[in-house]
Amino acid sequence: MRDLFLDILGTTGKKFINFVANIGHFFIFFGNAIYWALKPPWYLKRIFQQIIDIGYFSLPVVGLTTFFSGMVLALQTYNGFTDFNSESTVARIVLTSITRELGPVLTGLMVAGRIGAKMAAEIATMRVTEQIDALGTLGTRPMQYLIAPKIIASLVCIPILVLIGNTIGILGGYVIAIYKLNFNPNLYLYATMEYLQLIDIIQGTVKASVFGLIISMVSCYFGYNASKGAEGVGFATTSSVVISSVMILTSTYIITALFFG
Amino acid sequence: MKKRKKKKIIIKVSDLSKSFNNNIVLKNINFQLLEGETLAIIGASGSGKSVLLKNIIGILKPDKGSIEINDTEMVNLPTKLKEKILLDLGITFQHGALFDSLKNWENIIFKTANKEKMNNKKGKQLAFSIINQLGLQTEILDLYPSEISGGMQKRVAIARAICGNPKILLFDEPTSGLDPVTGSLIDQLIKTAVRTVGGSAITITHDMASVCRIADKVILIDNQTISWSGTPKQMFNSANTKIQEFIEPINSKIFFK
Repeated sequence: MRDLFLDILGTTGKKFINFVANIGHFFIFFGNAIYWALKPPWYLKRIFQQIIDIGYFSLPVVGLTTFFSGMVLALQTYNGFTDFNSESTVARIVLTSITRELGPVLTGLMVAGRIGAKMAAEIATMRVTEQIDALGTLGTRPMQYLIAPKIIASLVCIPILVLIGNTIGILGGYVIAIYKLNFNPNLYLYATMEYLQLIDIIQGTVKASVFGLIISMVSCYFGYNASKGAEGVGFATTSSVVISSVMILTSTYIITALFFG
Repeated sequence: MKKRKKKKIIIKVSDLSKSFNNNIVLKNINFQLLEGETLAIIGASGSGKSVLLKNIIGILKPDKGSIEINDTEMVNLPTKLKEKILLDLGITFQHGALFDSLKNWENIIFKTANKEKMNNKKGKQLAFSIINQLGLQTEILDLYPSEISGGMQKRVAIARAICGNPKILLFDEPTSGLDPVTGSLIDQLIKTAVRTVGGSAITITHDMASVCRIADKVILIDNQTISWSGTPKQMFNSANTKIQEFIEPINSKIFFK
């Protein structure tokens, strides 16, 4: 009995120590990555490539997701609020939900799935095929050449994607409100503009920037520290998507609480 | 009688030890690479040959011991200075380690393009001249590494290693996984490369035919240490059982007739 208890204690302790060590390791990586992202020279060609990849190629998936979310939101709000004769609040609910929460979070999750997985897999493959080691021997710092452009591009692109996603989401709500629920277009637009507040846009942009940092850092971290060949690449990819998604959902609560709590 | 000039020591490894999680991989490794010499490091798979190379180029840090490159102690050297010294080295990795996202010509000139700004035209010309030196087809320059064969990738990796004429060349299993004809071709390329830059080389291999073709000196890593060293010719007369095991599969007469 005593041996079993010591066994369990030993295993749990080891896991806990590993967990703490990994967190420490992540923050060292975080500090290094920020340092290299701020330090010139910047690889402008690589930053531009990443901006195209993260921003431009994510537009369809972000657009579709937010458009349908806006549509669903308008429909559900209308159905729910009819019971209280408050259909007029549909525009306000769609606007607030999209700009404050759904736009940034859905964009963040979509980008984590699409770009985070890609970043992690790409860097992990480079790690296990010794390409990162080779970079170091060719007079190039891997953090500056590989990681910094991804972080800079994520910080630039994700806020822009969120702003575009918000607009498309509101448009989705507008389409349903006008063409299915027979709202007056002018009144709907007027209500939308009336309730549009700068603080919501600022909050959405702050969230987007934090999500950009989370996605790029977590994905690059898991990719950069990958090992054990193909299995390691798979582990890095899955871990980056799961951890980024959890961190996005956790941080969105914290930011909301800071702004409106 | 003319006195022979003493050769300069290019790489000196002294008492190097390396372990991973209490698993000792290398213990008290000592050897020297002299100017103009090609040294082959042989040993079974997992004997620590690549770990030794990674220690030399600073990817891994030894637990103990020293590594001198051109009289500069590398262990604990600040990163900036280490990078400067590494720029004078040409290295090929076990699996080529070519950058997938870059075309072959961009891979070849990667280091030189980083050192001195050059436009695409100049870069391509440089890659073209190196590929020509090595007697390769120039059509591969505009392809990506994934679009060429494994043997061709190894040759591009050698081209990348010799670009900029580094005086020290390090090759990690350059002929592994290749057919004998391509392997022999790669050996020829290494010989040409070493001669072209007038430098010294270390090649890590367990291909004995390759050792006979390119090495001036051989060391065997076995059981964490250097258990034998000598010339390829001495190797065939050695009573060392491990060496015997290595040379058994090949007919020595073919190589020394």
